[in-house]
Amino acid sequence: MLAQVIASGILMGFIYALVAIGLTLTWGVMDIINFAHGEFLMLSMYSAFWMYTLFRTDPLLSLPLEALLIFVLGYVTYKIVIKRVADAPGLTALLATFGLSLVLRNLAQFLWTPNYRFLNQTLVTDKKLAFAGIVLGLPQVVASVGSVIMTLAVFYFVQRTRMGRAIQATALDKATAKLMGINTELVYGVTFGLSGACVGVAGALMSTFYPIHPESGALYSLLAFVIVALGGFGNIKGALQGGIIIGLAEALGGYFLGTQFKYAIVFLIYLLVIQLRPQGLFGW
Amino acid sequence: MKRRLVVILLASVLVLSLIAGCSGGSQQQAAPKEEPKPQTIKIGAILPLTGSAASTGVKLKYAIEVAQEIINNPHPEINLPLAKDAGLPNLKGAKVEFVFADHQANPEVAKSEAERLIQNEKVVGLIGCYHSSATKPASQVAERFQIPFVAGSSSSAALTERGLKWFTRIAPNDDMETKFFFDYLKYLNEKFNAGIKTVAVVYIDNEYGVHAFQMVDKWIKEYEKDGFKVVLDVKYPTNVSNVDTEVQKIKQAKPDAIFHASYIGDMTQFVKKYKELGVVPKAVLCYCGGFQDPQFVVNLGKDADYFSGSNACTSTLFGKMDALNKINELYKKKSGVDIDGPTLEDFASAMVIADAINQAGSTDPNKILDALKTKTFDAPYFVSGKIKFGPTGQNDFSASVMVQLQNGKYEAVWPEQFKTADPKPAFPKWEAR
Repeated sequence: MLAQVIASGILMGFIYALVAIGLTLTWGVMDIINFAHGEFLMLSMYSAFWMYTLFRTDPLLSLPLEALLIFVLGYVTYKIVIKRVADAPGLTALLATFGLSLVLRNLAQFLWTPNYRFLNQTLVTDKKLAFAGIVLGLPQVVASVGSVIMTLAVFYFVQRTRMGRAIQATALDKATAKLMGINTELVYGVTFGLSGACVGVAGALMSTFYPIHPESGALYSLLAFVIVALGGFGNIKGALQGGIIIGLAEALGGYFLGTQFKYAIVFLIYLLVIQLRPQGLFGW
Repeated sequence: MKRRLVVILLASVLVLSLIAGCSGGSQQQAAPKEEPKPQTIKIGAILPLTGSAASTGVKLKYAIEVAQEIINNPHPEINLPLAKDAGLPNLKGAKVEFVFADHQANPEVAKSEAERLIQNEKVVGLIGCYHSSATKPASQVAERFQIPFVAGSSSSAALTERGLKWFTRIAPNDDMETKFFFDYLKYLNEKFNAGIKTVAVVYIDNEYGVHAFQMVDKWIKEYEKDGFKVVLDVKYPTNVSNVDTEVQKIKQAKPDAIFHASYIGDMTQFVKKYKELGVVPKAVLCYCGGFQDPQFVVNLGKDADYFSGSNACTSTLFGKMDALNKINELYKKKSGVDIDGPTLEDFASAMVIADAINQAGSTDPNKILDALKTKTFDAPYFVSGKIKFGPTGQNDFSASVMVQLQNGKYEAVWPEQFKTADPKPAFPKWEAR
């Protein structure tokens, strides 16, 4: 029983982590907090939903499309919304993304009604893995594995590729990076896009088991903020570890103290961490 | 340091926005501002038009618009009070206008919207708010301004226990529902030998859920002699990313029956998890909430079968009740789905307050209240057929039926005189569906 609780906590943790990684990228690299992050997640879930409903394409197959779509959305958001306010005082960009989140959420409600929708016959629906008395839903297992793969891919991209190094350089010192010939505009755009791609993948994976509605992204993005604070800003590994901690805290806390307290415990951890280690548990 | 500040600021904004449903003030504009004509009577309707229950709120709005349509235009084909003529006959055909406001599932907003409607829009009565937690402060505002408030589907019994003078409520409250649930279980045990003893209560952590649980706690004392026992209660947050832990606890306790006080989003997640973890109770009885929303069947298909709940209405009754059928036709044109219980109750609240104004022959709040408290209102769309508010403001004729989903249809299964199908007193294994 305890093993079951821990296992499902870890699975949820991986999914939280992927959402958080998208957030930590823009936060760490550009020092911009994207309030519309949860809405990007919601839009990805809706695109998976519509791909399935209109073209009978399974979310797992349409996943690259969602990733691409939200990448483009992120890139365009940077070019149209963020770039104009990037040099204004810090709060301006924050408020701009906040405004964007309201626009997207209400637009979704306007276009697609606020109904809760589910995908019922995906490749993984209703399948489960059972071993040693632990039962795990295949949708969550696939989503977690997918999250881990995407996390590793982003990590590799940032650490090993030329673009990734440019992102790191720009994160450290924008002016110097620019002097060294790095196209910082492009770097910012790509970072925002990459952040979008993360939730694009997360949304497609989550659409197999989570209700899709205009507010779908809200709670996940709130948890993502906690994870980013826990893991350190811009720290991909930290976000992964933070995600697992939050997933476990939620599951174990809910089990031992009562399910009504499960998010209270998560936010208590958050408060403690920003008091004691404001740079995050794994921050620099 | 700067970052730390930003983080704290951010956290507070986020939490606030989440609590508020964060739906960005798409405040429902009252109809275009024109000179208030004397023959238009304004009634405020406060609903969750955005936020987590927006899907339900929008349907309630459609139902109230149908009521407005029926009142303001001649509909001789429907056998309803106020349907035959245009407007309110006792007020020289005055038209009724429902002014919609959005409370975003937030009690604070419900309160301020009630104030705005009364002070700025000069409404003569209020209806709403679906969420008991929102109805509570909004009706307190109505009490302070001495404006009648007719609640449709808010079911928390606490609402009519406050001794308010200006408050009335159509839906059966969860006190009555809980007794109804235990009586139904008793019926299943006696008639079908269902062998139901242990009960788990699963409920959302808000006014509606918590109060439902308190009512179970109260009634179980009465029903212990019949062998019933509450073995587990699971309270979960109003916004959940998953319900894994909750369902694992339920699985461990193996209850025969589960009482659910849940909304559509969380309820659907629970059913998915029940299936995944192989939880097979004998009966799941749902308080007025997510189960009654037809989207429940759309989302879950076959997996929705065997769940039961109390309901004011079910589509299988349309064939038996002509007025209900005609109302449903108008409603379906707007919403694309059949009318459901809570929606019908809010429709009823709109009809009743207009009927009360008509019977009072005046927009004087005291006269309207007097009509509300003394008259009996015809309600041919309910199985009870009429509405009469008692001294606390509770509708004495709250006749619910127990409905069970069978082959994707909400069948009335109890009491026997209304039944459209026999109840099925046990869940099959999930694989055997």
